[in-house]
Amino acid sequence: MKTVIVRPERCVGCLQCRLACAVEHSKTKELVGAISEPVVPKARLRIYPGRQHLAFPNKCRHCEPAPCQQVCIAGAIKRTPRGTVDIDPERCINCAMCAMACPFGVLTYAPLYLAPEKRGVALKCDQCPDREAAGRLPACVEACKAGALTYGDWQETQEDKGRTLAQAVFASLQVPQETSSPLPATIRAWRQLS
Amino acid sequence: MRYVIIGASAAGLAAAEMLRQWDPRGAITLISDEAQAPYSRPLLTYLLSGEVRLDQVWLKSPDYFEQWRFEARLGERVVAVAAAGHEVRLQSGEAVPYDRLLIASGASPRVPAIPGHDLEGVFTLRTLADEQRLDAALQAGCRVAVVGAGPVGLKAAEAFVRRGCRVTLVEMESQVLPRLVDGQAADLLCGALQNWGIEVICQAAPSGIVGKRGRVQALALGDGRELPVQAVLCATGVTPNTAFLTDPALAAAGGIPVDARMQTPAPDIYAAGDCVEARHLLTGQPAYVPIWPAAVAQGQVAGANMAGARWRYPGALPQNSISLRGFQVITGGLIQPEGADVEIVQEFDRQRGGYRRLVYRQGRLVGLTLVGQVQDAGIYFQIMSQQLPVRDLAADPHRPDFHPGRLWG
Repeated sequence: MKTVIVRPERCVGCLQCRLACAVEHSKTKELVGAISEPVVPKARLRIYPGRQHLAFPNKCRHCEPAPCQQVCIAGAIKRTPRGTVDIDPERCINCAMCAMACPFGVLTYAPLYLAPEKRGVALKCDQCPDREAAGRLPACVEACKAGALTYGDWQETQEDKGRTLAQAVFASLQVPQETSSPLPATIRAWRQLS
Repeated sequence: MRYVIIGASAAGLAAAEMLRQWDPRGAITLISDEAQAPYSRPLLTYLLSGEVRLDQVWLKSPDYFEQWRFEARLGERVVAVAAAGHEVRLQSGEAVPYDRLLIASGASPRVPAIPGHDLEGVFTLRTLADEQRLDAALQAGCRVAVVGAGPVGLKAAEAFVRRGCRVTLVEMESQVLPRLVDGQAADLLCGALQNWGIEVICQAAPSGIVGKRGRVQALALGDGRELPVQAVLCATGVTPNTAFLTDPALAAAGGIPVDARMQTPAPDIYAAGDCVEARHLLTGQPAYVPIWPAAVAQGQVAGANMAGARWRYPGALPQNSISLRGFQVITGGLIQPEGADVEIVQEFDRQRGGYRRLVYRQGRLVGLTLVGQVQDAGIYFQIMSQQLPVRDLAADPHRPDFHPGRLWG
């Protein structure tokens, strides 16, 4: 399954992804239209200041099995044939059970244009199904200029990462031994004494 | 292998699905005294308020039982379990033999033993039939008393207001959600309830229900007050359904005793869900935790073990999410633990209307209450359920600026 892969070490916290996400999940799917919609669209990923990195993008991991899906009392959370975990705003009752179960804290509760009569529904990353159908990248990935969000098969990415690491290790082993500078005559003489 | 499961709700269905995954060829029979297809019990209050439609409460697709090859015997009541003969007796007189049995019979609402509790107009809310009875009896403008300010009582009271009733919420303890949240969070919630027009009466025990010609007319309180009402909803907790079990080893008052593998003292009998007394995850003591997530987790462990696995159920962590008109409260763990070395951190964010209360014991997070800002609740519960010493975490949940980035970023 292709997913959005997060590389927190590259994130600079510019929040372009949040803007793109909110626009993608608006009714008009255009920035100009989105800002004037009656139901203000919300971004489904959050960027926190990090501890060791500049910033930390946090979004749904589409876990398997998904804890949120197991506890959803309304049956609103389903796994789609694409492999993602999706929330049906029609069925969501805003009960916050999913927030209680999600170990990553990725859910937000806000109104959505698809269910305008509701005070709020659970929102999280759906990996842009409309864009996928059109053969485009998810909005956040397209917006990311720092390479912190990429789209790909996570297993392949894992292998790539391992290969890069291995190459780095080998490269470091192949560095010729450092030749030590000759010791001053006084120290050499002192060592020979003992 | 013939597997029989008593009960077809959260625990029973979770167990059946797990059994099917472990044993593709075994015969699995689900027996339930409710004739409808499996539905979501927590949705009943939402159905009452009109937030969901009847077609949205069904948990499974119409062809669910055929798809999973389960034999469903809906609308049949189990009257006895013969552990020695390995069979279950139904009300119709039929005996269903089993090799492994799961008791997931759930719980029934407790009705206070006060005079008049059997009058017409006194309701409980546990089954779809209860909901339909209540739905038919409600008219806009009528006066309703809700006894018990637990999660069901609160949600039902809010639903009644939505339907145009005048609601009085009566609670024996000194606050709403007793034993679930602390006084401060209760006050916040109570304020919201009163804003919506719900009259909240705490520290009042109902002493009787006054009726005329068999119908409810008033609810009498211990202090002599009488509330004129047309309906009374008792939401005073549940008791495990164990009346049909004659074996004294199984029919304990606090719930069926089980070990860490969800096995009962009787051979080849397992139990899961609201009918069992499981272990508390944090204290290790037996505890009765009738909540949906625990029922699903217990059902899965019981199902796998019935098919021959050796899974352990780590214990139940009490957790509740109460959401009323966008006012969200998430609470869990121990609210007021005993003993020394307990530290309580409270924080009230007046600007955003958020309240956070963390309880630590011996350097570990053991209790949580969040009001308003609830999105990080799962992270706290993860820290709590793994019993991680807070000192070993990358970030201390203590700090007011705790967020996922501090933990992982």
